[in-house]
Amino acid sequence: MPTFQLDGKTIPFEPGDTIIRAADRQGIEIPHYCWHPGLSAPANCRMCLVEILPKAGQRPMMLDILELDASSGEYKPVQKPKLQPACYIAAAEGMEVLSDASANVARARRDVQELLLLNHPVDCPICDQSGECKLQDYWLTYDKTQKRMRDEPVHKPKAVEFGPTIVYDGERCVMCTRCVRFMDEVAKDPVLDMRQRGNLNEIFVAPGRKLDGHYTFMTEHVCPVGALTTKDFRFKARVWFLRTAQSVCQGCATGCNTHLDYDPRNNKAYRYRPRDNEKVNKYWMCDEGMLTYKEAHEGRVLEATVDGAQRSVVAALDAVRDMFQGVPTESVGFVLSARYSLEDNWALRELGLVLMGSKNLYTSGRADGYEDDILIHRDKNSNTQGVRQLAPGAKSLQALVDDVSTGRIHHVVALGGSAPVDVTPLRGAKVVVVAAHRGPLTDAATVVLPATSWAEHSGTYVNARGMRQIADKALEPQGSSKPAWRLLADVAVALGYEPSWTKLKQVRTQLIGSAGADASSPSLPTSPAE
Amino acid sequence: MSQLVLDKLRARFGASVLETHSDFGDDTAVVSPDVWRAVGEFLRRDPALDFDLPVDLCGVDYPDREPRMEVVLHLYSVSRRHRVRVKARVGDAEMDGAELDSLVSIWPGLNWLEREVFDMSGVRFRGHPDLRRILMYPEFEGHPLQKTYPAQRTQPLVPYRTEEEAGLPLEKQAPFGPDEGMPFGRRPLPPPRAEDG
Amino acid sequence: MEPLDVDLEEGEIELPAEPMHLNMGPAHPAMHGTVRIVLELSGETIVKGDVQVGYLHRGFEKMCERGTWAQVFPYVDRLNYVSPMLNNVGYALAVEKMCGIVVPERCQWYRMALGELARISDHLTCTGAIAMELGAFTPFLWYVKAREMVWDILEEETGARLTHSFGRIGGMAHPPTPAFKDLCRTALPQILAIVEEGERMLVKNRIFLDRLENVGPISGADATAMGWTGPCLRASGVAYDVRKAHPYLKYDEVDFEVPVGTRGDTLDRFLVRLGEIRQSKRIIEQAVERMADDGPVDCDDPRVVLPPKDDVYTTIEATIQHFKLVMEGAKVPKGECYSYTEAGNGELGYYLVSDGTGTPYRVRIRPPCFQITGGLSRLIEGRMLSDIVPTFGSLNMIGGECDH
Repeated sequence: MPTFQLDGKTIPFEPGDTIIRAADRQGIEIPHYCWHPGLSAPANCRMCLVEILPKAGQRPMMLDILELDASSGEYKPVQKPKLQPACYIAAAEGMEVLSDASANVARARRDVQELLLLNHPVDCPICDQSGECKLQDYWLTYDKTQKRMRDEPVHKPKAVEFGPTIVYDGERCVMCTRCVRFMDEVAKDPVLDMRQRGNLNEIFVAPGRKLDGHYTFMTEHVCPVGALTTKDFRFKARVWFLRTAQSVCQGCATGCNTHLDYDPRNNKAYRYRPRDNEKVNKYWMCDEGMLTYKEAHEGRVLEATVDGAQRSVVAALDAVRDMFQGVPTESVGFVLSARYSLEDNWALRELGLVLMGSKNLYTSGRADGYEDDILIHRDKNSNTQGVRQLAPGAKSLQALVDDVSTGRIHHVVALGGSAPVDVTPLRGAKVVVVAAHRGPLTDAATVVLPATSWAEHSGTYVNARGMRQIADKALEPQGSSKPAWRLLADVAVALGYEPSWTKLKQVRTQLIGSAGADASSPSLPTSPAE
Repeated sequence: MSQLVLDKLRARFGASVLETHSDFGDDTAVVSPDVWRAVGEFLRRDPALDFDLPVDLCGVDYPDREPRMEVVLHLYSVSRRHRVRVKARVGDAEMDGAELDSLVSIWPGLNWLEREVFDMSGVRFRGHPDLRRILMYPEFEGHPLQKTYPAQRTQPLVPYRTEEEAGLPLEKQAPFGPDEGMPFGRRPLPPPRAEDG
Repeated sequence: MEPLDVDLEEGEIELPAEPMHLNMGPAHPAMHGTVRIVLELSGETIVKGDVQVGYLHRGFEKMCERGTWAQVFPYVDRLNYVSPMLNNVGYALAVEKMCGIVVPERCQWYRMALGELARISDHLTCTGAIAMELGAFTPFLWYVKAREMVWDILEEETGARLTHSFGRIGGMAHPPTPAFKDLCRTALPQILAIVEEGERMLVKNRIFLDRLENVGPISGADATAMGWTGPCLRASGVAYDVRKAHPYLKYDEVDFEVPVGTRGDTLDRFLVRLGEIRQSKRIIEQAVERMADDGPVDCDDPRVVLPPKDDVYTTIEATIQHFKLVMEGAKVPKGECYSYTEAGNGELGYYLVSDGTGTPYRVRIRPPCFQITGGLSRLIEGRMLSDIVPTFGSLNMIGGECDH
């Protein structure tokens, strides 16, 4: 593996890597604004300037500058080494790079930071980026001085509505062009560009267009300062009150990795941020997916109901027991859900297939939708592959509707409320639904038991490529909800069986043993503790 | 700061001195728990060291490490005017095996300090004449200065009144909610372990 | 007990032979700051005394782990709450040791002067309380009058009489007021006059001497082995004062002596404290003399010191600095450090463990009077019940510090 030296440390790099990329792989940060690992490098912020020592025998590249001599008050001509942007220079074998160890680099960073803050508005108290802002972090680490300008800062348009989702603030913008490059290179819709020159620079939307499409939230995500903000998150929460959980988007079968930010004081989820995963979503997420965090709170089933009336979970389980008294197993149908985790589906399969010995397994989920070739998948369920692995012979929901209409099935235990087809005939059957969200199935149900959403319990989801990914628990269960696999254990007990699972560890151990696990998948949980 | 103390410790105890450093000018040695008492005797009796004043004994919890509880002893010599910090690490993730020999027979002043370390951090001292809680009341459960003990937990000896007794809605019972009082974004939480759901 | 109309010879009356248990409970006028002593008495003689502390335990050390480094200052104030400035200065020095910051000279003199004022206030309270509990109420009120003069100065400087929270990492909360030097110069002779008046009244008093002399003695070696420091140790003849042995701030540039006792009994502890008040007066006079009248009090390191407020409202850099320091806290380098100063009761130590962030990982407060109170039981065993009062008073156990 070829290597180069950075501040005396040996850094391996892959051919084609820039200095900053190779350092980033090792966890060493060279400060930057405009560079992003998923975008091209324009080298316009000049924050990543490093000193590259010349090869032996070569003259260093020097610049002639004028420096103020403090004692005489006059400008004297001196030479300083020319610094190179680490985001643009490709790493070469044997290169010697000085970053934190060089006084010239420290001075350059201080000056760049001073220039970036020169016309910056005093917006920290009202800026959403506060607490996760690179200007703040780098000022404290690399600058620590007051700017020397005494004039009024330049004023630019503030709170410009770019589109249905994004608001732009010209004064906060550092003109890194990350948003421009993102829309151009990743979203393939070059609707943003820079106009004017010098200190009147601003970003604008192409005339006649708005910043719309399916990836507008990512412009806010790449913006290193508070210039681009989403209308969804603006002024909602301060980031230092938010905790983070590593989650998986439930919007479609791509299974983008996310950070779910929530406030534990009021147990609310506030936003998603994409989590980097080279193999799944690289660095991005789509707008629809970014907004699915709201599903943790909207349309939720939080209390048990029997025949539409709210009851306690215990009373509902009693109703389930009474409902299934003396019912022959061949007339019971079990509906797995492609929107629920492997653990939940496994529990239902155990109940149906193993404990009750039934062969009537069906699957449900959401209907297909929009797809594109960047991230969005047609299948809007996050765990279709998982259910397919657990129950390869399960039939579609339409088959269940038909079976209920013919009278072959008259008792149903279902997971999840969503259904891709019309389920009104199910009202003629006795349906127990364990669901987190309301939907056609919960409307048709006799007994509804409240399950926790994906954000409230740790669950495994298999995406369209067959990769198992775990979404960690973030919120505390709301209302009377419990994880679906636990509710199904209670249902099993109510029906007179002894479930083999009471703890998550047990579910996971048995889950690894069953179902064709893709052993080469990197996200595979290899131990129950994951 | 002279290295005399650390050199003599290393010379005498060899491999039982696991680490030494002198960060910020304080000579520190991490020793293995089984030589705790021997190290204490040596520091007290050796005429060149003569550590006669026991300054402080405390516990610091590092739950990410194993062993997790670090017991820190500071000593001072009035005659020689030098100091040393001696540490030993005990206890696994569940605080099993968190035991050390008591040094009360060498320095009587450690009597109350060892009781405090037991009370606050849960480390037992073998041979202590009277190892019981000192700062907390005897019915207290748990050891408050362990990182796993939640700061907002209350254990009232007289139970708080219920809403029926109060006659008005009581929003919270603990003195403050789990994340009130400070922006906790400062300290990252430990990664979640696979709890039950 | 047999009825008294029965004819009994002397010597036949049965008296109870088991020791009596007496509870000098936490709510007792002589138990300063709530301490409970469970006594086993044989008549008036103490067979065994179990000193139980912890009634004022407030969980400081755990609370410190939930805020920033600067938010610890109000906590340390409430340790030895009769000399809070010494605690503040001690903690500020501890964090500055870890950050590698040295405060400007003006601040060092200022800290010394305020610290010694706090020490005077501490010793006045202690000696006055000893006298009061023996029945001599008047000297206590005189000393409280002197203490009021000290507190007036502190109120002028900091805004609060007792728990000022005046120290900051890298300086003090505000520079000295223009009136500070004159206030000190006027007040100190008056304080000294009151101290001497009270001393004249007490030290020649037969009853006072009988109650204090040779009561609760402890040898220097025993006191050292018990971990005692401060006036209690010095009364036993061990001349260990942190200000002389390991000078910090500008203590090596001022002239003062360290009073040392001989017998280590209660009287010596009383007299050592009065002597220290005189020496503190000398230190304050010299510090006030040498303190500059202008110049910065805070060091200029933006990583720890807050910027001026009008800059915060008008420039982005000061806003960022203010924001980072308040929201994330000053980032103290990773590691552990023990820093110690001479507080009112002895060596007050702070053992700080930092993980490099703005929140302390562990703040351990080494309270001087914790181990001193640990020695109380051996001082009172074998003595009379009424000896507890002056002995315990002379140890100057401050509940806030002992129980932290």
